[in-house]
Amino acid sequence: MRAVISSFCRLLCVALIGVMGALASGCSGPKPAGPPLAIGVESQYADVLSQIGGPYIRVRAILTNPNTDPHSFEATPAVAREVTSASVVVMNGLGYDAWIDRLLAAVPDPRRRVIDVRRLLGLRSDTVNPHLWYDPRTMPAVARAAAEAFAALEPAHAAYFTANARRFDASLGPWRAAIAAFRKDYGGTPVAVTEPVADALLEAAGCRILTPLALELAVMNGTDPSPQDVAAQQALLRRRAVRVLIYNQQVTSPLTASFLQLARAHHIPVVGVYETMPQPGYHYQSWMLAEIHALREAVAHGVSSRSLGGAAGSR
Amino acid sequence: MLLALFDTGFWTNGPVRVALAVGGSAALVCAVVGMATVMRRQSFAGHALADVSSAGGSAAYLLGVNPLLGFLGMAAAAAGVMEWADIREARERDLLTGVVLGAGLGLAALLLYFDATVRSVSGAAVTVLFGSMFTIPATIVPLALAVAALALAASAVIYRPLIVSSLSVDLARTQGIRVRAVALTHALALALAVSLSAMTVGAILSTALLIGPAAAALRVAKRPATALALAALIGLAASWGGIVLAYESFYWTPGHGWPVSFFIVALIFGAYLLAGWAAGRARRPTAHPSGCEGH
Repeated sequence: MRAVISSFCRLLCVALIGVMGALASGCSGPKPAGPPLAIGVESQYADVLSQIGGPYIRVRAILTNPNTDPHSFEATPAVAREVTSASVVVMNGLGYDAWIDRLLAAVPDPRRRVIDVRRLLGLRSDTVNPHLWYDPRTMPAVARAAAEAFAALEPAHAAYFTANARRFDASLGPWRAAIAAFRKDYGGTPVAVTEPVADALLEAAGCRILTPLALELAVMNGTDPSPQDVAAQQALLRRRAVRVLIYNQQVTSPLTASFLQLARAHHIPVVGVYETMPQPGYHYQSWMLAEIHALREAVAHGVSSRSLGGAAGSR
Repeated sequence: MLLALFDTGFWTNGPVRVALAVGGSAALVCAVVGMATVMRRQSFAGHALADVSSAGGSAAYLLGVNPLLGFLGMAAAAAGVMEWADIREARERDLLTGVVLGAGLGLAALLLYFDATVRSVSGAAVTVLFGSMFTIPATIVPLALAVAALALAASAVIYRPLIVSSLSVDLARTQGIRVRAVALTHALALALAVSLSAMTVGAILSTALLIGPAAAALRVAKRPATALALAALIGLAASWGGIVLAYESFYWTPGHGWPVSFFIVALIFGAYLLAGWAAGRARRPTAHPSGCEGH
């Protein structure tokens, strides 16, 4: 229901914004000089874009606030103008940022390159978990695609972009090593989650997610969960059948709060993960490394971490 | 059908038990208070209270307090204002009620926006407006039972005076009934009933539980006591039956149960239709055309 209502509102907003954007671009004349603009719709994509583009590409992010739910984002006219004037747009896809599609369709530009990460990874359009950036295979592919797009824009710096993409891939080495080490030491660890946010990372680390998928999706979409699934999750925590509860630090509800309470009462460590990259102080690499470290601390030493980096997380 | 009743998982299921307790007490209170509300022709006011209470429910998420307290606070405030305005003329009263209803829902829209953007609460809109019984925290049960007991006690105290003053204010005055105090107590009981109902099926659907069972019972029962008992029975059957069906629906479409609010409201509507059919059959032998109620 919420999805229907909000997508209708978005459609309205986007239609309006599209008209405004078309009017604005019609009278603003030639684009301003300076480096070309690249948009990473989610801040984690923008972070990778700026690591590849360096000083030759201007990079902006749209979804940057880690304290609000990106699923409920509403585009403003300023955002619409910025997005439609970009030369490169990197979007997640899978309905996570569907409003971008409509914005771009309203102001067509044959020179604009749009990188839809879902398509880039060759995933089906009915993939249920849209949080693609938690998958270790995602960002290296995004970095390569960005380097190609930037090279087409600024051929003089093509070698620089390609080298940056390679450097980026190498900089993920510590993260990949931490995932492999976790898998070796704690592979098969049973875990519970509130939402599918970090599921791809958990799967890469060899964790067994025991929470019913339907419950994760109900919490993510804000729909009515079934009592069977809620009871199953409660039983996991009560019987201490899981070693850790991973929850979405950015989106909570009375239901997720009750799971956290239950976990605390039964001495199960909790780990808060982020949907959008926490800023400032983090790059994609350090963020992901911090998440896997937090998971390891929880499983190995029973340490909870509600937020990344800071004493606030200790229990 | 209804295999859930023989399923031990149903009876030991935590969310189901909470839903049975909250939904059952809401149904009982709504049957009693709803009966008086229908007889006093205050159905629209009851619906308006429910809509206004949605702002309280939304505010509760923002403040991080018990949602039942949120619904209750806003419904009681709105009931107080509407009773204080004390407008006799039906047209005026409907206008005021409609305006207050709109303002309440508008405030709810703003507060739900803040819930999503400031507090990042997921699914608050659906829960507040359409209910989500299986996500009610168990800690709410004692408060819900206390609210229900208070509403039933208040209704019992004013039972006779309320019936008399609903029939004729002048008659009530000659009998020494303090009409204003009785009306205010009923308004409070109405606020309590509406907030319990909003917890059960959501603010928007809350009128269904308040009015539906009473309206259905009044179609077939002649004596007030019979109607009251029947309304309570219909309310309980719809509320608990809805919970059973929602539980059962999990197995119809693997892994996806249908919303419990839908089942409860559908059962109430079914009961209303059935009551009309039964009343029509009972009336047929007496050659009166339909619609003639005759005392």
